[in-house]
Formats: sequence, C-alpha cells, structure tokens
Amino acid sequence: MIEVDPDTSVSQGADQYSFMDQESAEMIWVKESCNIRVDSRDTQVALSLQASLQLAVALVLNVAIADSGQSKAISQELFQHFNSDQINKQKIYIYNTKDATVSTRDTDIAVNIQVLLQVLVTLVVMIDIL
Amino acid sequence: MAENQSKNDPIPGKVVKVMVDEILRKNNVKPEQVKNNISNEQRQMLKEMVEDLKTQVDQFNQGEKDTTKTDK
Repeated sequence: MIEVDPDTSVSQGADQYSFMDQESAEMIWVKESCNIRVDSRDTQVALSLQASLQLAVALVLNVAIADSGQSKAISQELFQHFNSDQINKQKIYIYNTKDATVSTRDTDIAVNIQVLLQVLVTLVVMIDIL
Repeated sequence: MAENQSKNDPIPGKVVKVMVDEILRKNNVKPEQVKNNISNEQRQMLKEMVEDLKTQVDQFNQGEKDTTKTDK
C-alpha cells in the first residue's frame, strides 16, 4: 500500500521519451581486464526478429482485410494481448578478469518472439494460407 | 498445423486460437470470407514469408541451447 501525502504535488515533465514497444538496453563495462569477448548478437537478432514478426502479422492482416482501418484495429488489438510491454536494462561489469566470454540474451524478447510466431501461424492457418 | 506446432510454445495453441478468433469476430471479420480476398500469388508469398520467419525463430532458439548462458 502506498501512502500519498496530500501536500505533495506530482509534476510530470513535458519531455517524455517515447520508445518502441519494447526496448532492451545493455551496458557493459570492462575494466582492468584483458581478453574479454562480449557477444550481444543474440539481443540484436532477437530485436530484429521481433520487429519482423510484428510486421508480418500486420502484413497478413493487411492483405486479408481490404479495409485498412479495420486491419489496423485488429493488429493493434492482437499486439495488445500478445506483446509484452517491457523494458529491460542489463548492466554487466567486468573487473580484473582475464579470458572471459560474455553473451547476453534477453529472455523476455525470446519468449515474445515465440508468442508472436504462434499468433502469426494461427492467423495464417485460420485464413488458409498454411 | 497450429495444433502440432511444438511443445515449447509459451502459450497453449488453443488459447492463442481462441484469442485470435475472438478478436476477429469482434471486428466482424469472418475467416471464410477473408480467404477469398487473397490471390494465389499472395497466398504463396505469405506462405514463404511465414516459413522463413519460422526457420529464423527456430535457428534463434537453437542458438540458445548451444552455449551455456545465464538467463537473467
């Protein structure tokens, strides 16, 4: 339970940042170390896969439904249900280390990709494409 | 197809199907009618697209198992 002091005023800045639905930020520090390999390809691949899948769902709906307003409404509703809205920030600090490999992976996006693929496949099965 | 997709789906296939069904129904879209809007050429293209994406997702998930990684 959060208690709110009635005297407090809440102010919200006008400069709100707008990001894409999902964001994955990585910060990796390497300090006083040597031979460190950092591999964040997974996260990059996941992000672009996610974008491709979203695009594909929208595309299928666009082709199938002539009314573009209607297809937009449907894809919006689909993403509302099936897209996790989450921001991940990973911070990795490597200090005094030799010969290490670090691979990063965003689990949330990995799951989201699976879900989006499921939705896409369900959709195309439903309209007899697959 | 959707039913036998795979066991590692995060959401049961039925749940997704009901959900998608419901959203289409709410927006007055009937799959049987929509089918006729798609030409054979489009059908083929979309099919290839979906299969491509499926392969990519599979490859991505395969990479997960290849190395020991700590999930956060």
